[in-house]
Amino acid sequence: MATTEEFQPASIDSGFDEGMSEAEFAELFEKAEELSQYFREIGPEYDTKNTFAFPSIEKFKASDLGRLQVPKRFGGHGGNLLQTSKIVSELSKGDSAITLAYNMHYIMAGMCLGLFSEEQNKYWMGRVAHGELMFGPFSEKRAGFSGLADMKAVPQEGGGWKLYGKKTWGTCCDAATIITTNATITDAEGNIPEDFEERVGAESFFVADFDIDRETDQGDGISIKRTWDACGMHATGTHTIVFDGFYVPESGFVCEWRAGAFGVLEWASLMFASIYLGMMARVLEESREALAKKTLGAVFGAVVAEDVKVASVGHIIDGVGDMAYRYEMGRRVLYQTIGEVMSGADDDWPLELRFPYIGLAKTFIADNVMHMTKSAMSLVGGQSFRKGAIFERLYRDSAASLFQPLNGDQSRTYIGEYLLQPEELED
Amino acid sequence: MSAFKDADEVYEYIGKMFETATQTPSFVEATEGTNLVVLLKQTSPDATMLIDFPKQTVVTGDAALEGKHTVQLRMSSDNANKFWQGKLNFTLAMAQRKVKLDGKRSTALKLLPLTEDLFETYRQRLKESGREDLLVA
Repeated sequence: MATTEEFQPASIDSGFDEGMSEAEFAELFEKAEELSQYFREIGPEYDTKNTFAFPSIEKFKASDLGRLQVPKRFGGHGGNLLQTSKIVSELSKGDSAITLAYNMHYIMAGMCLGLFSEEQNKYWMGRVAHGELMFGPFSEKRAGFSGLADMKAVPQEGGGWKLYGKKTWGTCCDAATIITTNATITDAEGNIPEDFEERVGAESFFVADFDIDRETDQGDGISIKRTWDACGMHATGTHTIVFDGFYVPESGFVCEWRAGAFGVLEWASLMFASIYLGMMARVLEESREALAKKTLGAVFGAVVAEDVKVASVGHIIDGVGDMAYRYEMGRRVLYQTIGEVMSGADDDWPLELRFPYIGLAKTFIADNVMHMTKSAMSLVGGQSFRKGAIFERLYRDSAASLFQPLNGDQSRTYIGEYLLQPEELED
Repeated sequence: MSAFKDADEVYEYIGKMFETATQTPSFVEATEGTNLVVLLKQTSPDATMLIDFPKQTVVTGDAALEGKHTVQLRMSSDNANKFWQGKLNFTLAMAQRKVKLDGKRSTALKLLPLTEDLFETYRQRLKESGREDLLVA
């Protein structure tokens, strides 16, 4: 890994930390609209190929959107949570599966900005400002949002750690050159602490170069195992990352993972919500397009035997109105949640409910986007079920919203636990 | 059985650490311009402290209940003793309801990393006072 002395971002001026202006945002949003259109054009091809949309890397980098939320003093645009959300939704409107990959970059850049030291921010965010992308595989076969990492970080004699284990959701691994991940620091022999409290304290967050030979998928102690073959979100390219003695120097240690993640989870949950808000907009758009034009021939049971314009059929009208209603409600829930987090109003929420209250924007939108994709197929009719139809793809892609944190079950469990817990301390 | 005999012992050791914290430059800088006033309610033995960071004061006992606070923190006195020695994982303790934090806590949580620099001070004070019994291995 290069040191900060070897690499300096374009402009480091610690006194310059203002956000993105509306005019600057409008300019960047136009680029997002262009990129979204490109994603829309290539999306079907990579859904069919069932691979990451490799040509999108160059286009995404050229769009200058990669440094969206990097502060200006590190060479970025200084976009905030709301501005990032709007860009993500716009890209997702073009193609949610491709956007989900770059969303991972936005999630990790946002989280890292809050967790990195000043020196780490200068170095890593400087690289992001120069066009590099980052990703963060965290889930393991039996670990994830609530499960502690089984992946080990074994201390090395000369300093630093070697990482051993597998991460099963390496979204954006085909485009990223910076990896962030969590692992549990062991003793010198590789034993994970047996004491629970010690184990929680030892679970740590790291950042390192993701230097991979793209022909062989091999790096030094790290590799990509191409396992992504799922119901939907094909073009996301979420493969398994295998760590087999992957070296992370001391400078790659960021913080204790659980304590750190607590304060920055909004970047994950709200960006996933933004993906599905964009998908909602697309479902509504495609449904209007299809249903505004569609006519039926003579309909059994109709009063007269003549063509029927479906746009004049009651349940179709209601169905499209219902979609618009759900989209608008989702948009308001997301933006209000972002607004409360940005303004610090989340300080008024009970501490235990910060995770699920942020998460409910995503769970609310997830519930509604799945309802919308199903409803769209029903309204449009059997043609929507054929392979290659946009509705069939949206239906499959929307199902992924069940999984990203927080999911609906987790949210309700956290809220219920809080409401039912006794007032006394648990000592 | 609690490591502390009574509330006076809690004020002697835990209260003094909060006094030290309110006057430590890193805490002063982090709380400057804020209205962070923490009402700390400890159990076993019961003890109450009102820690006013901007004013750099710590009020103990019943008088602490008379002042206004922005954050309320509850924990056992044993856990407070562990905390100041760096032996309590605060995030985990919150998840396990060993610690309860209510109110405007974002500024308070930002102070957590700063406490690390004071752990040795606390342990040293215990040793100098002949209170090795309070040291946590």
